[in-house]
Amino acid sequence: MTKSDFESVVREHQKMVYSIACSFFHNAAIAEEVAQDVFLQLFENRNAVGVGTHCIAWLRRSTVHRCIDTMRRSSFKQEIQVDELPEVADDAPAADPLLQERLRRLVASLPETPRAVMILRFGEDMDADEIGQTLQMPVRTVWSHLQRATALIRDKASRYLKENENEPVRTRSS
Amino acid sequence: MNRFEHDLRESLKRREPPADFADMVLARTRVSESRTKPWHWQWMAAAAMVVVLVGGGFMVQEQRREARRQASEEQKKEELLVALRITGSKLRLVQERLSAIQQRTIQLQVEQ
Repeated sequence: MTKSDFESVVREHQKMVYSIACSFFHNAAIAEEVAQDVFLQLFENRNAVGVGTHCIAWLRRSTVHRCIDTMRRSSFKQEIQVDELPEVADDAPAADPLLQERLRRLVASLPETPRAVMILRFGEDMDADEIGQTLQMPVRTVWSHLQRATALIRDKASRYLKENENEPVRTRSS
Repeated sequence: MNRFEHDLRESLKRREPPADFADMVLARTRVSESRTKPWHWQWMAAAAMVVVLVGGGFMVQEQRREARRQASEEQKKEELLVALRITGSKLRLVQERLSAIQQRTIQLQVEQ
């Protein structure tokens, strides 16, 4: 990969790398730093990493691993336990900015592996096989993480919505 | 795809990085490159030092070997000279005895 190839790779895939990191941390400053580190790592390994689909797969894998490393080294420990989940049947109402913000926070508070799985599935629209290859885990494990994390987030989000429904409407005068 | 999954996709959809993101990355690669260059020089200097040390050691060893060889040759030369000296003195003795025998033989012939 030449320097001009590298520059075009940065400009083409900056959104993907930044978005994965941003969804992982729910923090723009950390996401920017991590994304820059990933591209710097690509620059250092540019002779080994080719251009094209291999490069995209490398960027996704490196971003997820760097996010996990950064999280382990720092104090990002807002994890929710995925065990003992209650079954929730109701569907969420129409999407609104507050709900989306809530969902982003919930995804960012998952343990590192299910968080990575959720981001790759719903953020990058990857299937279970691709996620398994990226995170180097069996497809069954990917499905397990997906199901448990989705159920957890659905539960938390529906509780949040119910709380909001019960909350009285406040006006400026009150 | 149900509504919840749709909401998840919407909340996790790609976001634009800061406008100067790519420029910042490229600037960092330039800094990284300029930092790595002195390392190349340091490696080259270290390699040159190793070559000098190894070469110097080899030369010293060669000089010592040459000195040992010269000393050995000198010793052999000395031994040869001593051997020649001994042989010369022995030959001189034999020659003296032969001339003495010859003189006695001549005297006996004259007396007869």
